[in-house]
Amino acid sequence: MHTEQEAQQIVTRIVSLSKADNVEVNLGGGTTSHLRFANNSPSTSGSVSNATISIRSTFGRQSGTVGLNQTDDASLREGVRRSEELARLSPEDPEFMPPLGLQRYEEVNSFDKTMADNGPEFMADAAAECIQQAVKRNLLATGFLQSNAGWSALGNSRGLFGYHRTTSMYFSETVRTPEGDGSGWVSAASHKTADFRFQELAKVAVDKAALSRNPKPLPPGKYVTILEPSCVADLLQGMVFSLNARSADEGRSFFSRREGGNKLGEKLFPENVTIYTDPNDPLAPGSRWGADGLPQRRIEWVKEGMLANLNYSRYWAEKQGTTPTPGGSNLILRGGDGSLEDMIRSTKQGVLVTSIWYIRSVDPRSLLLTGLTRDGVFWIENGKIDHPVNNFRWNDSPISVLKNIDAMSKSARVPPRESRSPNVVVPALRVKEFNFSSVSEAV
Amino acid sequence: MKRREFLKTTAATGTLLFIPSLPLGRSNTVQFSNPDFEKLAEAALTSARTMGATYADIRIARYRTQSISTREKRVLNVSDSESYGFGIRVIVRGTWGFAASQVVTQEEIVKVAKQAVAIATINSKLQKQPLTLAPVQSYKTSWSTPIKKNPFDVPLQDKVEKLLGINEEALKVRGVTFCSSSAAFVNEHKFFASTEGSMIEQDLHRCEPSFTVTSVNRELGSFQTRNSYAEPQGMGYEYFEEYPWLEDVRQAGEDVMEKHKARSVEPGKRDLILHPSNLWLTIHESVGHPTELDRALGMEANYAGTSFLTLDKRGTFKFGSDIVNFVADKTQKNGLATSGYDDDGVKTTEWHLVRNGVFIDYQTTREQAHILGKKASDGTCYAQSWNAVPFQRMPNVSLQPGPKPLGISDLIADTDDAILIKGRGSYSIDHQRYNFQFGGQAYYEVKKGKITGMLKDVAYQARTPDFWNACDAIGGAEEYYLGGSFNDGKGEPGQSNAVSHGCCPSRFRSINILNTARTV
Repeated sequence: MHTEQEAQQIVTRIVSLSKADNVEVNLGGGTTSHLRFANNSPSTSGSVSNATISIRSTFGRQSGTVGLNQTDDASLREGVRRSEELARLSPEDPEFMPPLGLQRYEEVNSFDKTMADNGPEFMADAAAECIQQAVKRNLLATGFLQSNAGWSALGNSRGLFGYHRTTSMYFSETVRTPEGDGSGWVSAASHKTADFRFQELAKVAVDKAALSRNPKPLPPGKYVTILEPSCVADLLQGMVFSLNARSADEGRSFFSRREGGNKLGEKLFPENVTIYTDPNDPLAPGSRWGADGLPQRRIEWVKEGMLANLNYSRYWAEKQGTTPTPGGSNLILRGGDGSLEDMIRSTKQGVLVTSIWYIRSVDPRSLLLTGLTRDGVFWIENGKIDHPVNNFRWNDSPISVLKNIDAMSKSARVPPRESRSPNVVVPALRVKEFNFSSVSEAV
Repeated sequence: MKRREFLKTTAATGTLLFIPSLPLGRSNTVQFSNPDFEKLAEAALTSARTMGATYADIRIARYRTQSISTREKRVLNVSDSESYGFGIRVIVRGTWGFAASQVVTQEEIVKVAKQAVAIATINSKLQKQPLTLAPVQSYKTSWSTPIKKNPFDVPLQDKVEKLLGINEEALKVRGVTFCSSSAAFVNEHKFFASTEGSMIEQDLHRCEPSFTVTSVNRELGSFQTRNSYAEPQGMGYEYFEEYPWLEDVRQAGEDVMEKHKARSVEPGKRDLILHPSNLWLTIHESVGHPTELDRALGMEANYAGTSFLTLDKRGTFKFGSDIVNFVADKTQKNGLATSGYDDDGVKTTEWHLVRNGVFIDYQTTREQAHILGKKASDGTCYAQSWNAVPFQRMPNVSLQPGPKPLGISDLIADTDDAILIKGRGSYSIDHQRYNFQFGGQAYYEVKKGKITGMLKDVAYQARTPDFWNACDAIGGAEEYYLGGSFNDGKGEPGQSNAVSHGCCPSRFRSINILNTARTV
């Protein structure tokens, strides 16, 4: 772990070696450790330390970027030289934006010393808990735990400097029946060790695996559906990645207006939909700066159903006469008051989905996605989980999902299953319909 | 500075401990590019053994990537990055341990070897299935991708001009609004040594050039795109020079204009003629992944998933029609997964996965071979970087051509009613590799032996064995085409593997077609 002083020394050295008009430096590193287990036994594990440096030199409007992971003086010198060589060979960029000067970055507390000090014994103990619970129920546990203690910094020849320390841990576990007729899953992510209660987490996975045995057939179709928070996180990310102002203004986005421009200010969703980013969110703090070194700040993307903001690069913001956005380092969908269990209790008939998987864009014009359900799909009858059902392929759009919300639970910090982003806070949603397009016989 | 000089200037400078010599392979004639490699490897392996490891290996590796991206007349980014470091893998009490660092000195190597042993020792307390490695021959050798032109020796201006030329050509087509293009060149240079006595240096190259043409039609409220049919290859700069870029991009421009006006497809069962530029990805997802043994064993259940090809199906399961043959091949010419040796130090090879429609084999590493009763590994172990744990990764997996000359025009002429699909589009498949859905870049209606026009909003959905059993025609070798993926994800932490898939135009009867148009 490089200290702030050590990071600043690297930036200062690179700036002193530079002959360019401007030099920008992004650096980071730390130690990442992991443990995998499969079929109730450890499989692979490891610990990696690394440090990466990105040097971007510019002459006028010409830029070149070099990445390296060696911090000795000869490597820094060579990196600066090479980035200057690339810059001089690159054509002028008509959209070049000069580097930012000194910025004020808000403090963000996302470092947990306990997590940084955890050793391989901590991970082995967590895996032992998972394996023990699975063995007791005659089930097979397969899972993954990864912990990172890291730092990042940025600086440039115009006096900009920032430093940030973070910790983060990700855990997920799939528990399967030995016969292969049932499967359950759980996941968690946080920057604090105290947020991981492995006994409770492991119980969710084994209970789901046991409950999902021998799924009954359910034909494809549109059903009232409860999407657990992990599903909502995946779907929401699929939409938020598309909140790009330039794509919208250029006519190649769902957020484009047919007659030109974008849908900013349009009411797209019900009143209860508010989506935002906030670096100091108490559940999932983000980072201090975003794209181009812009300070992170609270930004509401969707405010009470209205499209309130799109992502603007510095260039596009200047061209459009608006303020650039730093991109956001967390994602929050404001939730309701009740629990997932409350939502199930108030559902007459419907499908409960634990997680979704292999999500891909099918049509960017409608943000249509396809994917599959996985590791626990259940039929709800008269307020209770009645029986497990088969998995499905689904074809639906997060736009339709948000339009069709009829109940929201409290929000919780939960990683999307595919991207595993640690800083997503979303509720479970009940939607009036979700389009299951075919049956998947996978269990 | 040449790369070799750079290697020297950034190489380790520690004081050597007394290290006993390793038993080496039969050839002692190879000189490695860095004279310190052997000494550093000996330090790692001896330290690991001394501390109780029954097996150890080290990879000291440097990964260089150059990427250039452009849109219209503008260069968006020029980037050149290197990552250098080492990873040590050990077995203690039948359990893996791994540790890695970017500080390549002898002191650090000894420290990291101890760390790997400590991690393995702690986790061995939970071990219920101690590892068994298949025997392997020891080698002292080197291997390089047989490139004609090293991309890193080509001036940047040449690459930029080529990409901007592609964009310019696209924008000449009336109605084309945008064109972006990019190129990435990767050089993976690694030295491997193990306690089996091997020392292997490899220098691998691959490249991924591409473009996307877009047309926005505000009157229709529509935007359409078409990507290049160029594929990433295990080749040098010669691929970038030889590919017919201008022809492809002009056609792409015409395609996006026609897509605006194309008829939206009628959903239902239709015959499909799949161009290899579309079919390779279907092979990757529905054949390459389910034949990975670690998936079948449940080792990937928490992320990538398991496989419908369970062990009891090996040798008997009717995977496809009689004409369907799939070969796994880590030695395939221009293959992205092609190398001389895998990251277990096993010499690479080829073997059948499906023969005459019957599923007969999986892909294995040294720790898996014994599970199938095999005497040797298939050589499919790979790690994406020095800092990643090597594990089972997909080799190049290809559909074998049919026995007679048969081109796509012959297939079209021989078909009464079908959809022809070209290019890689949307893709998704379930965690046991049964249910899949694929799109494409361009869709054509075939009626009474002729293409009658373009279609849009097309996707096909099928169940893997149903799909391959519906295959009734496979083109001849004259139209063999090597597609591939630069970034196939698997493992925890997630790792990327580059892999190729060869195939010829093929026909599939009565496949479920979806209409993907939506109003939201």
